[in-house]
Amino acid sequence: MGTLGAIFLLSAAAIADEIFLIRLLSLRFWPYFVPLIISQAMLGFGAAGVATHLLRWRIARSPERVFAWLVLLAAPAFDLAFRASQAVRFDPFLLMWDTSAWPAFCGFFLLLSAPFALAGGAVVVPLSFGMGKAGPVYAANLAGSAAGALLALPAFSLVPTDSLLRIPVALGLVSGAFVLRAPEGRLSRGRIGPCVACLLLLFLPPPAPSMSPFKDMAVALRLPDAKVIAARSGPTGDYRAVFAPAMHFAPGLSMRYTGEIPPQAAVFADGELRGAAPKAGGPLPPGYLAYLPAALPYRLVQRPSVLQFGLRGTEGVLASAVNGASKVTAVESAEEYVRLIRDDLAPFSGGWPPGVAVEIRTEGHRTYLSRDKRRFDIIELADISSGTFSSLGVHAAGESFLLTREGIRAMLSHLSDRGMISSSGWLKAPPRESVKILRTFREAFTEAGLSPASERILLVRGWGSFALVARPSPFTPAEVGRARRWCETMGFGTVWPPPLSVEEGGAEERAFREAVRAAVTGATEGSGTELFDLRPATDDSPYFYRFLRLGSLPEFRRLLGNQWVPFVEWGVLFLLLSLAVSLALAALFLLLPPALSGKYSTQGAIPLAGYFSALGTAYMLVELTFLKAGILVLGDTIRAATAAIGGFTLFSGLGSALSEKSGSARTMRWIFPGIALLSAAGFLCLTGASSYLLASAGGWRASIFVASFAPAAFLMGMPFPAAVSGMSRGNARSIPLAWGINGFFSVSGASLASVAALWGGFRLSILGGALLYLLAGALYPRLFPR
Amino acid sequence: MRKAFAALLLLLVAVAPDSESTDPFLAGRLAMVKDQIQDRGISDSRVLSALRVVPRHLFVPPEYRSQAYADHPLPIGEGQTISQPYIIAFMTEILRLQPTDRVLEVGTGSGYQAAVAAKLAAEVYTIEIFGSLAANSARTLSSLGFRNVHARQGDGYYGWEEKAPFDAIIVTCAGGHLPPPLLRQLKNGGRMVMPVGGPFMTQNLVYVEKDRRGSLTQRNVLPVAFVRLLGH
Repeated sequence: MGTLGAIFLLSAAAIADEIFLIRLLSLRFWPYFVPLIISQAMLGFGAAGVATHLLRWRIARSPERVFAWLVLLAAPAFDLAFRASQAVRFDPFLLMWDTSAWPAFCGFFLLLSAPFALAGGAVVVPLSFGMGKAGPVYAANLAGSAAGALLALPAFSLVPTDSLLRIPVALGLVSGAFVLRAPEGRLSRGRIGPCVACLLLLFLPPPAPSMSPFKDMAVALRLPDAKVIAARSGPTGDYRAVFAPAMHFAPGLSMRYTGEIPPQAAVFADGELRGAAPKAGGPLPPGYLAYLPAALPYRLVQRPSVLQFGLRGTEGVLASAVNGASKVTAVESAEEYVRLIRDDLAPFSGGWPPGVAVEIRTEGHRTYLSRDKRRFDIIELADISSGTFSSLGVHAAGESFLLTREGIRAMLSHLSDRGMISSSGWLKAPPRESVKILRTFREAFTEAGLSPASERILLVRGWGSFALVARPSPFTPAEVGRARRWCETMGFGTVWPPPLSVEEGGAEERAFREAVRAAVTGATEGSGTELFDLRPATDDSPYFYRFLRLGSLPEFRRLLGNQWVPFVEWGVLFLLLSLAVSLALAALFLLLPPALSGKYSTQGAIPLAGYFSALGTAYMLVELTFLKAGILVLGDTIRAATAAIGGFTLFSGLGSALSEKSGSARTMRWIFPGIALLSAAGFLCLTGASSYLLASAGGWRASIFVASFAPAAFLMGMPFPAAVSGMSRGNARSIPLAWGINGFFSVSGASLASVAALWGGFRLSILGGALLYLLAGALYPRLFPR
Repeated sequence: MRKAFAALLLLLVAVAPDSESTDPFLAGRLAMVKDQIQDRGISDSRVLSALRVVPRHLFVPPEYRSQAYADHPLPIGEGQTISQPYIIAFMTEILRLQPTDRVLEVGTGSGYQAAVAAKLAAEVYTIEIFGSLAANSARTLSSLGFRNVHARQGDGYYGWEEKAPFDAIIVTCAGGHLPPPLLRQLKNGGRMVMPVGGPFMTQNLVYVEKDRRGSLTQRNVLPVAFVRLLGH
């Protein structure tokens, strides 16, 4: 019981540590770099298996003692590893050019992987040395992981960001209480020491998370007289508002604006710019907001009611007000962010404009569209380029279900008779977002019988950004004329419908015009857009904010030499790098034992490697694909992640616990096809019912979401302990390796799930997971040769 | 007396003509100009000469000195970078600086861009918001004898009103809009260039011209090179 208790708590601590590290590292680095570090750190789990295999003769002398010390050392490691990593100086960007940055990078992730290696060892040692039955041990591991994931959610709201790691330390400390007694039953003084040291760590000031000097907030904080004027954190992120007199935020401002930009505060989410709040802008919205390309729809409809998706500081609402909106409804899923803007910043911003009815809804975007039946004159999308206007193409995390065919269809049903959808973003070379969203609009309109789409779209450009509006009824010549005149006044230009007198312009302007024309009319693509995946986004393959085609990388390098760096989307590259590094490290670690022992035997090795690598990969493919579908159904990433990670580990834990009783060879024959069938069927049911679910209450949605994967997750908990249990009867020495293989391929499976979703869609990911389970089923009998 | 002698010696060292024997970075600098600048289409002989003469390695932090002539930007502290050599050459060429021009630079950073511009124009006024960078660059520029560079610390967004108007304005830090005060301080017939993008990720260079009547026109210039390359 003590062993299981320690495993349960330590597993909870490890998963909490992983979740909190994501937050802490998101503050330091860019979002797309964090999964790379985290996934490599998680390789510590796999490395524990390899180390156990290599040291099995020594461990066998006293597995209980090894287990106890792994538990006792893991607890302080959660804190100490992070403290030490903060002293390692490197920046991801330098990795591209500075070879001396690589050792620092390796040191950084090795430090972070240390606690995971210890925690992994604390599971694999009992599994491998008969300290308990495989099913209950694995179940304690999974149930602990579920508890850690569920605990992390409220912790984000209750604990300051820099103190989050105290939670895994405390959990680890409690887990240490289960191993304080030596096997003979007396308290071991030697084991009390680490516990006391760990207790003392809780009283040390937490390490302040360092921040890359190139992050938006780090630069802002270094401006003269900069100060944080409001801060909030919670499950959705760490939000801070920074005021500095030298802040001048007006993305895409017309050159015809000659006035001043009033003092502003910039609002950051995890250190990245998310919006601005002009000082005292509420009572008197600043005039510059009428000089942005995004003001286009307001020139076409008077006193509109506006629906905005995404809160951009106070600036989005103020822009609507200054452009004549009668009422504004802003939908934002991040509750802490809403409270920071609406409540904490109100004394600075002056609140909302008095003449405009402003309503802020804290809700998922698609959920809102399904649950509220009101109609609007303008629906504004704030996030076509990225979550912010700041990151200019390096946004990589997350996906939007608003900018999909289905999302656009949902928005169309919320438009008034004169209503239109508008969006804006940065111009990029070659054009990307603009083309993708135009193609998605075109397809959604065609599906809705609104043809030709080309008569229902209007697109203008400024010197650095574009704005487009689309609506069900064709734009009249008078409206197009009004837009043209406004463009002339602002120094902007119409791109679609094409300008009356076609000025040649620079190559960039011509390329953009051509790309827009092709996207709107459905003509053949060109102008470099073929380098990116710009197919219309759907709910099965949503808008990922990154579009690089894998095959176009050599083309980038061939055409641009070293100049390719600024133009490529690094989020995609880091994702692929993560997959490649995890596979390379897996290969290295798994080849290490035979290399060191000098014994190269393939007998039994291939089924073993095939079975456990298939299990590790397949589990992550299925779990993460459900998680991504959950973002649509539940409305935001955090709820989806909590429900998916918590639900999968909980039900798999139950399955694992029962695997001892029901894991006979006869039963196992049905388990693998069962998983394949149930995961595929559950996923199809979930996505098929998504439009119904989106309109339902939150509790019901969460219940149906969990129910969609629960049967599959229950069965998914069985194959690993069943195989380990069988191996313990004749091939126990391979159990640590099995754990290692499973751990390594869980990491690569996580990267693979993102890659598959990006280029193949969710259904393909689920199909891949199902097929791998069938492969594992075929290999299962070969694990136990007669 | 001893201080004056030391200063004179320092000056002599600083302004001494480059040669293989005194400047171990010369070969790297000449290779940079040929491979990264000339071969990519920069052809203004005055710009190329300036780049051959200005010792870029003295403008980067000592730990990055060995990479000073490499084809990428480098950190200089305060979350700022010295731009990739090609970007500096491109921005300088497009401004068509004349020996009589008065130039405003916003974002002194390392001081390298100001030094290159100072080789081509009459006067360069440069503003840096970060105190440490302003002090470092002023020290470097002064030690290299750039007397036509006038530096100060401040918010470059508002330009340098007392010294306006300018024939050319170079904004070396990326921004989300073209600052109205800078557009006002641009002389009729003047040129301005500004990057859009992150510190390492210049994606667009915006070029602005003010005609003789004071009307402004703009175009995005860097993607020109990119799109042309794609057409090869």
